[in-house]
Amino acid sequence: MPKVKSKIEVNEKLDEELKAIFSGDVPWVTIVWDDPVNLMTYVTYVLMELFGYSKERAHELMMKVHTEGKAVVSTGSREEMEHDVARLHEYGLWATLQRGDQAL
Amino acid sequence: MSEIQHGFFRHGDNSYLANFTDAEREVLLNLVEQIIELLAERVDHHNEDPLAAMVGITVHDTPPEDEVLLRLLPNAYADQVDASEFRRYTESTLRQKKQAHAMAMRIHIKAAVDGIVELDHDSANAWLGAMNDVRLALGVRLKVEENSQQDLELLAPDDPMRGVYAVYSWLGWLQESLIDALMDESQ
Repeated sequence: MPKVKSKIEVNEKLDEELKAIFSGDVPWVTIVWDDPVNLMTYVTYVLMELFGYSKERAHELMMKVHTEGKAVVSTGSREEMEHDVARLHEYGLWATLQRGDQAL
Repeated sequence: MSEIQHGFFRHGDNSYLANFTDAEREVLLNLVEQIIELLAERVDHHNEDPLAAMVGITVHDTPPEDEVLLRLLPNAYADQVDASEFRRYTESTLRQKKQAHAMAMRIHIKAAVDGIVELDHDSANAWLGAMNDVRLALGVRLKVEENSQQDLELLAPDDPMRGVYAVYSWLGWLQESLIDALMDESQ
């Protein structure tokens, strides 16, 4: 039997969580996959150009792609991630999107 | 101009120069024109709805069968249903954008005076995208993998892929020189 509570704590965070449950608005992620052709400097440069990341941040993400085979490069709504993936494909990076709560 | 090869270098504000020989321009032109042709609408188009096509919706939602095209127009989702839906609404736009990069590159090469190509930041990005598409296409044909560089370096002199690999390597070098020049600016 479920326990019941006589009191609830209402705060902004709860509001957001409830909204997310009903709108199905879970965060999505854009993943860049390692590719043997794309130059390391090119991947870094594209991440800087498309996402406005600093050279350090972009380099860090590129290294993660290179060493671990993939990296999450952006997070947001499904529509936003579709937009990001389309832009990455335009520049030849190998990218996919998926729900953020699914295993990478 | 000196005999030393520089690739692209920064030349003042928002200006990047490279000096190409006639032979190099010929190779670059040939490659971008092939990419433009490759990215033209798929031949497996039938029953295309002209109105849908006008707004960038295509009837095909299956990934390209050609390995090179598949690398240039990859799936956006691991899930096949989602990937198909996304492709139906976006593939045509992606083709057009990639073609636009290649066409910009072609115009610059054709307009070069004394072999000198001058790019601004935006056209440099178009060049990078187009050069990368060419490298991706050649990379598929060369079966480039993470550790295949050594094998490719050792291709026999009479192997037809040897020349292709030389072009592939040279393009990587050229692409890197342009990135270095651009990064120089962003510091």
